[in-house]
Amino acid sequence: MRPPLRLGRLARALCLVLLGMGLAACDGARSLPGPSQGVLRIALDSRPTNLDPRFALDANSSRIAQLIFNGLVRYDERSRVAPDLALSWEQPSPTTFIFHLRPGVRFHDGRPLTAEDVVYTYTSLLDPELASPKRGSYRGLQEVTALDSLTVRFTLSAYEAPFLGNLSLGILPRPAPAGDARAREGMRTFPPHADQRQLIGTGPFRFARWVGDDALELRANRDSFEGPPKLAGLLFRVIPEQTVSVLELENGGIDLIQNEVAPDLLPRLRRNPALRVVTGPGTNYSYFGFNFTDPILRRWEVRAAIAHAIDRRSIIRHLLRGLAEPATGLLSPLNWAYDGEVATYPYDPARARALLDAAGFPDPDGAGPAPRFRLHYKTTQNDLRQRIALVLQEELAEIGIELQVRFFEWGTFFADIARGNFQLYTLTWVGVRDPDIYYYTMHSASEPPQGANRGRYRSAPLDLLLERGRAAGTLEERRAIYSEVQRLVAAELPYVSLWYSTNIAVMRTTVQGFRLHPAGDFMSLREVELRAD
Amino acid sequence: MRRYVLRRLALTIPAVLGVMTVVFLTLHLIPGDPVESMLGEMAQAADKAALRRQLGLDAPLHVQYLRYLGRLAQGDLGRSLSTREPVLAAIARTLPATILLTVVSLAVAILLAVPLGILAAARHNTLYDHGSMLLALLGISMPNFWLGPLLIIFFAIELRLLPVSGFGGAAHVVLPALTLGSALAAILTRMTRASVLDVLGSDYLRTARAKGLRELLVLFKHALANALIPLVTVLGLQFGALLSGAIITETIFAWPGIGRLVIQAIQGRDFPLVQGCVLVIALGYVLVNLVVDVLYVWIDPRLRLAAEEESEP
Repeated sequence: MRPPLRLGRLARALCLVLLGMGLAACDGARSLPGPSQGVLRIALDSRPTNLDPRFALDANSSRIAQLIFNGLVRYDERSRVAPDLALSWEQPSPTTFIFHLRPGVRFHDGRPLTAEDVVYTYTSLLDPELASPKRGSYRGLQEVTALDSLTVRFTLSAYEAPFLGNLSLGILPRPAPAGDARAREGMRTFPPHADQRQLIGTGPFRFARWVGDDALELRANRDSFEGPPKLAGLLFRVIPEQTVSVLELENGGIDLIQNEVAPDLLPRLRRNPALRVVTGPGTNYSYFGFNFTDPILRRWEVRAAIAHAIDRRSIIRHLLRGLAEPATGLLSPLNWAYDGEVATYPYDPARARALLDAAGFPDPDGAGPAPRFRLHYKTTQNDLRQRIALVLQEELAEIGIELQVRFFEWGTFFADIARGNFQLYTLTWVGVRDPDIYYYTMHSASEPPQGANRGRYRSAPLDLLLERGRAAGTLEERRAIYSEVQRLVAAELPYVSLWYSTNIAVMRTTVQGFRLHPAGDFMSLREVELRAD
Repeated sequence: MRRYVLRRLALTIPAVLGVMTVVFLTLHLIPGDPVESMLGEMAQAADKAALRRQLGLDAPLHVQYLRYLGRLAQGDLGRSLSTREPVLAAIARTLPATILLTVVSLAVAILLAVPLGILAAARHNTLYDHGSMLLALLGISMPNFWLGPLLIIFFAIELRLLPVSGFGGAAHVVLPALTLGSALAAILTRMTRASVLDVLGSDYLRTARAKGLRELLVLFKHALANALIPLVTVLGLQFGALLSGAIITETIFAWPGIGRLVIQAIQGRDFPLVQGCVLVIALGYVLVNLVVDVLYVWIDPRLRLAAEEESEP
């Protein structure tokens, strides 16, 4: 009987393979630090793709890069430009800025920060060879010159008001000349394989290591010019499933989740005595976008009718569990340029029906099933978005508009929206800071691929205002112009403003001192400490 | 036998090539622009065009395809569009975790299914049989994305026996492997039961019993050996399901494997990375089936003879 012998051999081979794999998996380097070593563990839903500030585009990369690097300036909580590595600056002519660096700042490797590092950071950013995705935002930057070791001059080809905010880009140390090419190649690759010595900044935390593909460790920078952080370090763990990260939090496997919590899970989390839930106003803006090339949607009455048909308060209360505030425009009340005195469209189905009648779209059978007209609405497959879409479908049916809802995978959805292949869609603007975002989203010169005027909306008075806003010198001048912009946009309705998402953080009660930043940044981690359980 | 293996190996080439062509075409035909996802919306049109040129995405589709095949022939899978990391390096980093997960899942499935299947067959039409079949039904019916969190809640949250998620010591692999292996275990249990039932009435087993062999020995040594043949076939076919199941399981358990990598790559329209991952998965599937075919011939001497005859010139 030979087969049993072979079965034995097979089993032995399988055991050997398993043993080998098991040993490989139990790699000692995998041991992750935790609260007992003073390390705060934070869940992220996706892996940061690149921590180099010149490449960091996704939210997680940008937020972590902010902890490692400092810029010349930073945005404060009202999105105003505030000093960071620069102590002060002056503007001798409209196209020249002179920055005075903070003395005594050192990089994580001990080297002092000088004007040459600032020159290097911006010159490398503008180098087409580097192919930085952020190069386009600095197209007006002509020259960066070190005047002395702590003074640097920026010369622009033409003045643009948002330029100053762009100088929040993290400053990197200038590499030794021979290291230039290597640095360039290294920084373009994913951090675990980059020359990690290049991830050196001046920020409160320094890059320590990637643990495998799914965890990133930062250590406190004891010599930070803003004073040492209270924590010994941070550990970011990539956990794609929100339910699982919540379970990890409950189980003590992580200490903090910010904004990546489904509203439905909140009641359960609030009941847990080991956890604390903190909420605060946010700047992320959700809106309903129209395509102006569509003959029906070009009519203001139709857009206003849709705006009046949406019961935003009810959606916020029931679907978002109260975690949003009704929006009036792209800029939230937290923004320095916000103006809330604009046209609003409260829930009023009767008014919506009257507007549609006036526009020449009578309901063919009154309360019967036949619609006035049919519209196609695109959104993503995100669970919450799907539920919101179904509510919108119901609400528009109330006023006689048949909404055909299509759910798409993100890449497909976004490509369609950018190409203008839609009638209606909803999206969220994340990280709104400078009011110049209106130029990018609504100026007639900003149609894709030049910008994000996806609805192909054209308004000569708005174009003029946005150009003036870009050229304006003082904050007061800009504030007045953008007040007008907000009123005009609210009146003409290229977007129906839906809501500003409320920021939320859920943490273990051992975490002390965490404050929510309106833009969802991690800046307050510097002041966080861990209390013993 | 060697000729048989070589011929089967040669047949894998058109299969893998076919898969790669379909993947290449699908990726390039579905909407979504990798340059858009890399540079973001804020980028200037000229920068987007330059990057498109730099990545060779401006060439006609057939030229891109031929270039891709040319590079593939040299073993070059290209670089990830989003991170610029060589695709091979990204795969090498994540593949071991996936292999570990699938191999352990396979082992879990076999270790659960074979005894349960034999028990069900030996105690045919008893409570054991019905119980095993009920378990198998549950295993097949429960989707991974539901079973995973359920196991986490029970074993990690309630009992605090195992970690919730992540990759680390041996304890980390238990729940993902149970989740991934459950459906396969269910199928194998039913297969084992049917095969063992099939051979239980055979003459050679009656002889074994007549010789006075203990029942356990009869079942595990004599009945199982012959019942194993259809089981091995199913194992090979189900390996593909295991790999696709790994994609979901890895996402649930934050397991840093190739499944999670491919999901991120698809979302970012990272063509070379998706192509590389699919190539590796397809190769894995084809190779496992090749191994199964060879094992099949090796286990069953009748087939070996047939294979040898077939490969005679």
